[in-house]
Amino acid sequence: MFFHIVLERNMQLHPRHFGRNLRENLVSKLMKDVEGTCSGRHGFVVAITGIESVGKGLIRDGTGFVTFPVKYQCVVFRPFKGEILEAVVTMVNKMGFFAEAGPVQIFVSNHLIPDDMEFQSGDMPNYTTSDGSVKIQKDSEVRLKIIGTRVDATVIFCIGTIKDDFLGVINDPATA
Amino acid sequence: MSLAADSPVHSSSSDDFAAFLDGELSSASSAREEALDEDGQSSSPANEEAEDENASCAPEEEDEDEGDLESKRLKRPRMEQLEVAECFEESATDESLVHNSEASTSKEICTHPGSFGGMCIRCGQRVAEESGVTFGYIHRGLRLGNDEIVRLRNTDMKNLLRHKKLYLVLDLDHTLLNSTQLNHMTAEEEYLWSQTDSLQDVSKGSLFMLNLLQMMTKLRPFVRTFLQEASQMFEMYIYTMGDRQYALRMADLLDPRKEYFNGRVISRDDGTQRHQKGLDVVLGQESAVLILDDTEHAWAKHKDNLILMERYHFFASSCHQFGFNCKSLSELKTDENESEGALACVLKALRKIHHTFFDELEDSLDGRDVRQVLKTVRKDVLRGCKIIFSRVFPTQFQADNHHLWKIAEHLGATCTTELDPSVTHVVSLEVGTDKSRWAVKHNKFLVHPRWIEATNFFWQRQPEENFPVSQQKNEGSVPPNAE
Ligand SMILES: [Mg+2]
Ligand SMILES: [Zn+2]
Repeated sequence: MFFHIVLERNMQLHPRHFGRNLRENLVSKLMKDVEGTCSGRHGFVVAITGIESVGKGLIRDGTGFVTFPVKYQCVVFRPFKGEILEAVVTMVNKMGFFAEAGPVQIFVSNHLIPDDMEFQSGDMPNYTTSDGSVKIQKDSEVRLKIIGTRVDATVIFCIGTIKDDFLGVINDPATA
Repeated sequence: MSLAADSPVHSSSSDDFAAFLDGELSSASSAREEALDEDGQSSSPANEEAEDENASCAPEEEDEDEGDLESKRLKRPRMEQLEVAECFEESATDESLVHNSEASTSKEICTHPGSFGGMCIRCGQRVAEESGVTFGYIHRGLRLGNDEIVRLRNTDMKNLLRHKKLYLVLDLDHTLLNSTQLNHMTAEEEYLWSQTDSLQDVSKGSLFMLNLLQMMTKLRPFVRTFLQEASQMFEMYIYTMGDRQYALRMADLLDPRKEYFNGRVISRDDGTQRHQKGLDVVLGQESAVLILDDTEHAWAKHKDNLILMERYHFFASSCHQFGFNCKSLSELKTDENESEGALACVLKALRKIHHTFFDELEDSLDGRDVRQVLKTVRKDVLRGCKIIFSRVFPTQFQADNHHLWKIAEHLGATCTTELDPSVTHVVSLEVGTDKSRWAVKHNKFLVHPRWIEATNFFWQRQPEENFPVSQQKNEGSVPPNAE
């Protein structure tokens, strides 16, 4: 789920960035530092959408660096337990399949794949229903439900299930 | 100062989006204080670390998503400390409420078969990181418990046997290829620098310069045909003592189209014991696994699954490493024979084993054991030969303990210490011994001990005339793989 929130960060800036472009430098450094990172509380920072305020700079003794407290608006992405998510399958094996939704790594174990889908090995391993009508393989798009999440420094791990109504393949690359 | 107004990243679309979210979220802003408290206490240490220490939240925004519902949960024992969003369960529809109560009853009975990112792969609950075996080679953060491994092996076995396949675990160094550090290359090998193959399309080449690893790698002759053919009979794994980066790079060279290994590349970093290779990280039943490796002692627990390979030494550094003071294949500008080399011979043996396993055995499929088949097929190689050794082992040595004696017996030969007319081969290092002279006189085969070793590696009785016993003690200057 996406959220638009305000976060704050103390930005350290080298004196060479002072002057007319101070603000631009501050913002571009902020974007570089923050976008694409994860935090346990907020999830994945997708994009900074605006600057709320830049506080008074504090000169660091000895270095000349200045620390600015910056409040900024950003869109964050964080999956929640119970949430329905669409994801792209990255790997299929006998244990289940792995899928990705942006920075989120999801594992759907074969315990949580409907019982009528069976694993087929081969150079394109997949899970297929007995009548062959539904197939999950690499690059398939699936709709799944999150039953567990954990946020790491750089990735978000999730446990997903497709063992429920309206879950499973939404777009099969083989037939597309 | 108003810096926000002219922020360069402000766009009208994100404004709309922000407004929408703000509207959605402001409905749940009552119980901020409690939620904040709760949040402060509940962050797990792991989470604390991961968090950007500079980013602090504006409280109005931060906890709205978890707000009042979260506070109701304060008295409940919290199974998952981090799950700030468990409120979603309660705000969800009736239908999903039913599912969630199902989930919470199944939580008590879930045996937690394995974990991904520290969460149970079946119920999603947090589990202790230490339990089970890591399967980092399949995916970062994946661990499986022993029962689950057994279960997966059983179901997979059925699937595989239906496709008439077994498992094959392949070593890299000296088995499928030979690598050398660039700075270990000799002057006589310098010509190789100009002969390396393109990395654009590796499927045609066999000699590669890997700048990142500071290495040069030579694939063993016949390896591409070998993999292609073996993949029809086996689900294949790579298992190397090299590190992960090296293992994956080699897998790219051997399997550029990713047809053979599909993530089944196991490196030193993935094993469970130092300096040992084990089948515990291989998701196949031991009764259906064959191993190709040049290093016997790496597989102490799985000798019965092992097909020992003749070492492929292409580079000089590799010869020196194993104590051969001779010119390497690279220095002699030659190579192993493509169609009669070690891999071609082993492929024939694998075919035979595969055929025996699926087409000749009478008992039910799941009662069959490839280790038994391996033994039987090997016993055919020297069937009918009766061997006597002369001056091969020290006199006080217990003869039937010697590795050549054992190999000969594994190959189906009978070994003896008594000369009699039924002896077919005299294995000797010298022509001058009594037994050697007896062999010449009675028209028996007189062969060098290497005949047994070669027969063992090639799975085929080698022509005796290629292994003569010379007048002088012959410690040759021939490299081990030369034709
Ligand atoms: Mg090796
Ligand atoms: Zn569980």
